[in-house]
Amino acid sequence: MPYYQTWEEFARAAEKLYLVDPMKVRVVLKYRHCDGNLCIKVTDNAVCLQYKTDQAQDVKKIEKLHGKLMRLMVSKETHSGAMETD
Amino acid sequence: MVLLENDSFLTELTRLFQKCRTSGSVVITLKKYDGRTKPVPKKGHPESFEPADNKCLLRASDGKKKISTVVSTKEVIKFQMAYSNLLRAHIDGLKKKDKKSKSKKTKATQ
Repeated sequence: MPYYQTWEEFARAAEKLYLVDPMKVRVVLKYRHCDGNLCIKVTDNAVCLQYKTDQAQDVKKIEKLHGKLMRLMVSKETHSGAMETD
Repeated sequence: MVLLENDSFLTELTRLFQKCRTSGSVVITLKKYDGRTKPVPKKGHPESFEPADNKCLLRASDGKKKISTVVSTKEVIKFQMAYSNLLRAHIDGLKKKDKKSKSKKTKATQ
């Protein structure tokens, strides 16, 4: 279960994994204020992608990805081509 | 596990973040939800269930208290805005990178 070193790679892999089987994938976000770190995990119970950070600049990226996946889940579109790009 | 309305979930989530400022972690899980309220039937039993395609399930916990909510397409825009603001407001204990301005060092030159 590797931790990704770059946000770009993690975000791309996470979205890709979700699109393979949306019903299987779950996103887990763990925040520890006392330790000052944030960890995000995307998994389909076979593949596990993780990213950990203690940088404030990553919070916005993580929150955006979280929102993007949330919108994908509630939309009835089956392929990402129909989603508007930010 | 308490299932709440979107607004109540956001209120309770705020409380979870506030409670965990000194110790502990807040864990949030997001998953696509097809609306089923009954367990998957065994083989041979007819599945009389129509899966919905436009919902997701959000869960949050501080290790002791668990809360959850279901968000559907109609609510997602409003919910996501409030939720993003909440995350950004509370996840603020992380290090800030400061490349341009020099880090201020406290000098005892007084």
